[in-house]
Amino acid sequence: MCSKRSPNHTMGDSEQQQEAERVCDAPWPENGDDWSDAENETGMDCELLQAMAEEDEDINVYNEETFGMDLDTNGPTDGVPFGEPLLATPPPEPDPKPPSLPSLPSTPPTQKPPFLLRSAPWQRGRGRRGVLDRGRMFEDPAVMRVVEGRPSLMSLDSAIVDCGHALYRNTFQENRMMPAYKKTSVSGSMLQDDAIVCVIGHRGRGQHMNSNFMDVPCPISSYGGRRGVLRGSYSRRYFGQRVPQMHEPMMPRSPIFSRQPLTPRQHFNQMGNFVFPPNHPCHSTAQPLSPKIMQLRFGANSPGHSPFYSPSTNPVEPFSRCPGPVTRLHPQHKRLLSQKPRIFQRKSEGWDPCCNLMTTKEKEWITRLQMIQLQSENPYLEDYYYQEYYRRIEAKMAEEELGIRNKKEPPKLTTPYITKTDTYTPVVHIEGSLGQVAVSTCYSPRRAISAVHAVQAHCPEEHKDTRQQRLEILCKIEKLFIALLEVEEMERMKTTVLSEAEERRLMEKSQRKVECIYSQLQHHNSTASGEEFLPFLVVSKGKKLLARLLPFLKLDAALTVLHVVTSNLPMLMSRDTEEALPVLYPPLRNVICVLTFNQLITVLKDLTSSESPSTFECLSLACQNKFGLSLLYALLSHGEKLLSSGVPLEPSIGDFETWTDIIFQVAAQLSQCSLVEPLLLPSNLLTLFCRYLDKRTVHQLKSNMESATGFLALPS
Amino acid sequence: CSYTLTLACRCAPQLFYSFFKSLVGKDVVVELKNDLRLVFYGLASTAYLNIKLTDISVTDPEKYPHMLSVKNCFIRGSVVRYVQLPADEVDTQLLQDAARKEAMQQKQ
Repeated sequence: MCSKRSPNHTMGDSEQQQEAERVCDAPWPENGDDWSDAENETGMDCELLQAMAEEDEDINVYNEETFGMDLDTNGPTDGVPFGEPLLATPPPEPDPKPPSLPSLPSTPPTQKPPFLLRSAPWQRGRGRRGVLDRGRMFEDPAVMRVVEGRPSLMSLDSAIVDCGHALYRNTFQENRMMPAYKKTSVSGSMLQDDAIVCVIGHRGRGQHMNSNFMDVPCPISSYGGRRGVLRGSYSRRYFGQRVPQMHEPMMPRSPIFSRQPLTPRQHFNQMGNFVFPPNHPCHSTAQPLSPKIMQLRFGANSPGHSPFYSPSTNPVEPFSRCPGPVTRLHPQHKRLLSQKPRIFQRKSEGWDPCCNLMTTKEKEWITRLQMIQLQSENPYLEDYYYQEYYRRIEAKMAEEELGIRNKKEPPKLTTPYITKTDTYTPVVHIEGSLGQVAVSTCYSPRRAISAVHAVQAHCPEEHKDTRQQRLEILCKIEKLFIALLEVEEMERMKTTVLSEAEERRLMEKSQRKVECIYSQLQHHNSTASGEEFLPFLVVSKGKKLLARLLPFLKLDAALTVLHVVTSNLPMLMSRDTEEALPVLYPPLRNVICVLTFNQLITVLKDLTSSESPSTFECLSLACQNKFGLSLLYALLSHGEKLLSSGVPLEPSIGDFETWTDIIFQVAAQLSQCSLVEPLLLPSNLLTLFCRYLDKRTVHQLKSNMESATGFLALPS
Repeated sequence: CSYTLTLACRCAPQLFYSFFKSLVGKDVVVELKNDLRLVFYGLASTAYLNIKLTDISVTDPEKYPHMLSVKNCFIRGSVVRYVQLPADEVDTQLLQDAARKEAMQQKQ
């Protein structure tokens, strides 16, 4: 039987030859019938196990001496190829009599070949020879060998996997020695280990790491190694060697390691809920471990905290322990996903699409590794869309639960309907080619963005000024939007600010920005008079900008905007081809609700007393437009509320007469023409009309309004 | 549906990741440049704007019968023509704001 030489023992050639002879003299009964487990089992097992135990002990001692004692002295330039960290692991003392060990004649210990076949060059002269001899005895072409190959294309694509080795497992050896463990044909654990380091090396953010970085967990279920025993620890040195540009072996550039000290929450997130899978208890090593090794141990012996995220013991929710809000699903999102009925149940519960090549823990581990790059110090900024989207959904659902009726719907994505042809003739078709030449079938989607160049190149001279003005307005709107986003951000930060001084400072800064935006909108073109806000109100994006700015304006400024809208309502309605005016309704309605009676009459005069078109035409146009009709309803409703509230109105001379005239004009228009459905039908309109009109007219108005909305217009 | 989300955007802007993350659990159709349309129920993942789909189905199985048995696939981003989004699941105003913030960050 071949016996493993101690790595510390340098044997001469003669000794080696004697050793080999001893190997060759192993009793192999030529008669196959004589091969009997019963006869040879006891003796063979004892010898085998004893040899294995001695061998393990020797290697453990050697590894500890070599890798455990001089971690600080050796730099990352030993040239030891990556993948060697496992060699530093002091294998635990094996069970002297593993019950499941199959008895085969001359069965050498087999858990070491995977390592020693990958041993460092300076090791190969010592122990590799014997191992290879032993390994060759069990050469089976059907068995996968430990080879070093190039990384797969798939791995190259992922940001995390860029390992220089693709290691395969000797499954025959593994199966022999680890019957109690789940076996996989190809283990990705080694890749995972490499991947961790490569994540660190490739992230490229120049961030430092803490000493806990090396506590990298590793799913152990498929990574058997020495009889399925866990790896105890990594050598710090080997990580550094993998990434030679690291000056310190502990200098990855992982995004999770920030320059600033971690906040408690960040630290918690990074520590995560690292619980190593307990289903593979690590056999404690017999030999004492140095403090260095102790603090570097991972796997089952790893400490409870780790900056990386190990496979969770809970395979049900793979994202329940994701680090950081960027990589974690929003709670509202999780709720929606859990509520969504699973329409497709193509697979049974136990079906694994990856054909059990990886365990669940390994898959989760890989997933988390990939997510490492997505960790962020400012998730609200870098994950803005997702965070804000589900925050709004959460707020909306909370309002619905509280019974707050909100008819406002989020803007939907609308695309023009384009008839898609079932077949298209490619411009270039290569006979026998697998694919087709890509031909664009869209309608210049970026034309609007590149409008500047298109206009300057192809626009006729007479239209150039108008388009140039439009482009200037669009550019200005974008700049003002950025300022408005800052204002909204400051408004959001007010809730998180603790001190009053800070809050006051934020308010002042916010107000200054708001005034700046307002003045830019009001005096866009200094030469043109009477065109305040109009150039922006004509553009849909400008309407949206004003709609979002109105809540931040003071009452005087907001009233100015309302006057501009009502004074130019016919023009705005006629030029609102994209139907973007309704976006102004909610903020303008809020402004209307705080108007005095005198201010209300002034606004109504603006609405009805224009010379061209006439009042009749103006009202007629308003009734045909959703925004116009809704604005009219809102004004009338507020007037009725003021009149019925009993609050002293303090009207000016002629206000009541103006009010009554407007009521009659509106009622006449509403009863004659067909109405569109308004954005909101106030409940006190019929009460207002009942106060001034006869029953027949009121009844006609009621039926007209109901037919437009489909709701009953009941007097309040 | 599979809700596994694997992203490794090294070069792609965070906005794409953030946007596609919000589509996890939603029905999305990916149309490739060879006119192949894949419907997947619940997963979008991008790496370099590549897309990994799980639990897919083909909209034209008669035209692409070889895809009937395919459940998971990895699509290189350069072969994607369109990603058809569910209209109800996209907040355009928020998307515009996110794009503006992204532009501001890149300028800084």
